[in-house]
Amino acid sequence: MKISDLTRVLDAEVLCGEDFLEQEVADFGASDLLSDILAYSKDEYVLLTGLTSSQAVRTAEITGAIAIVFVRGKLPPQEAIGLAKSHHIPLLKTDNLMFASCKKIVEELIKEEKNK
Amino acid sequence: MSANYSKEKLTLVNELIYQIKVKEAMSKKVIFFKENTTFREIQLKLKEKKISGVPILNNVKNIIGIVSIDDVITAFDKGYVDNKITDYMSRDVITIPQNISVVSAIHKLERFGVGRLPVTESSDSKRIVGVITLSDILNRLLVVVQSIAEKVEDKEIKNTQISHDLIKSISKKPLRFEVRGDDFDNAGRVASITKKYFQNLGISKDIIRRIAIVCYEAEMNICLHSLGGSITIQVNDNNAVIYAHDKGPGIPDVELALKPGFTTASEKIRALGFGAGMGLPNIKHYADKLEIKSSLKTGTELKAIINLGVKNEIK
Repeated sequence: MKISDLTRVLDAEVLCGEDFLEQEVADFGASDLLSDILAYSKDEYVLLTGLTSSQAVRTAEITGAIAIVFVRGKLPPQEAIGLAKSHHIPLLKTDNLMFASCKKIVEELIKEEKNK
Repeated sequence: MSANYSKEKLTLVNELIYQIKVKEAMSKKVIFFKENTTFREIQLKLKEKKISGVPILNNVKNIIGIVSIDDVITAFDKGYVDNKITDYMSRDVITIPQNISVVSAIHKLERFGVGRLPVTESSDSKRIVGVITLSDILNRLLVVVQSIAEKVEDKEIKNTQISHDLIKSISKKPLRFEVRGDDFDNAGRVASITKKYFQNLGISKDIIRRIAIVCYEAEMNICLHSLGGSITIQVNDNNAVIYAHDKGPGIPDVELALKPGFTTASEKIRALGFGAGMGLPNIKHYADKLEIKSSLKTGTELKAIINLGVKNEIK
C-alpha cells in the first residue's frame, strides 16, 4: 500500500507533503501515546494518532515515519505543519475514529493480499 | 465537510485579528476622486475597477466625502448623473485609523453595513493612506497563518543542516548541545540533528533509529523533568556515545525510574503524549550499554553507548 492509497481508504485530506505520497508503506503504528510509538514502531511506517502537537511530528520523524494520519478530524497547529514540511513528512487528516481507521486499513491490506 | 475545527486553530485566528493592524491588511493603492467630478465619471471608474465606492479627497488627500454605487444609481434615477457630486455626496464618512487592530475594522464594516472603509493616517487625522475591505482582512489572515508554518519549516531546515565542517570536526571533538528545561518549542531538535548527522556517516538505518530514539528520550527527559542541561554526542571507531547531563533536581531512586511504567510526570507532560514511564526503559532497550548516575545535589548524568558495527537484533 502506498501513502496515496490512504487518501482513498480513509477518505483523508492531505494537509502537506503532496509530493511524497508515492512511497510504499512497510508498516502502521496507531497510538496517542508518544512513548508507545518510541518503544514499538518500525521504520518506514505510517503513524495514526489523535495527537496533533509538534511533538507528535517530531516523534514520527525521529522514529522514521513516512507519513502521519490525524484521526477523528483533528487539525494540527501551523507549527506542526511547518515541522512536517521541513522533514518531507506528508500529513493526512481523516474524520474516521482511530478504531475505524485501523479497521479500514486492515481490510484494505487483506484485499491487497488476496489480489496478489 | 467536517465541523470538527480544532480549538487551537480558532484560538489562533482569534489572536491574530487582534494582532494584525489595519495598515498591514489594507490596500495602499486608493482609487479616489476630487470634488469637481460628475457621477458619470465615477460610475465608469466603478465599473472599470469593479469596486463599490470611492472616497472623495481634497488637495492634501484629506477625506471630505464618499460616493457609493447606491449614490450613482440614485443619480441615474433622479436625473442628475452628469452633475458634479459636490451637492449630493455623503460628507458623513466612516473611516478607520491605520494603527488599530483589524477586529475594529470588522466591527465597523458590520455595524455600518459598508463594504469598504477609508483608512486614515491616525485617529485625529483625515488624511487617507489606504482602503480596507473584508477580503483584504481575510487575505492578510491567510498569509499570516500560512507564514507560521513556513517560519517553522525554514528554521528547522536551517537547524538540521549538517555541514562538511561539522562532520569533520566531530571525529576530533564531541558535539555538545544545550537543552533548556521546559522548552517545548525546541524539544527534539538535538535528536533531529543527530539523526541527520549519522545519516551522513552511512550507518545502517536500524542503528541510526536507535541512536535517534535514545537521544530523543534523553533530550525529552532533560526538557520535561529537569532545570536544563546538555547532550553530548561522541563518535568512536565502533560506537556512538550519548551523554546527557542535567542540573537537577536528580532522580531519588534510579532503579525505580528504570521500571517500565514508573512516572513522575505532570498532567501537562501527559497531555503532550509523554510521561508514560517509558523514557528510561526505552533508552535501556535501545542502547547497548547504559549508565546512570544521579544525585539530588548535582543532577543526573546519563551515558548510553550504541555499537555501530554489526548489531544483534533489538532485544
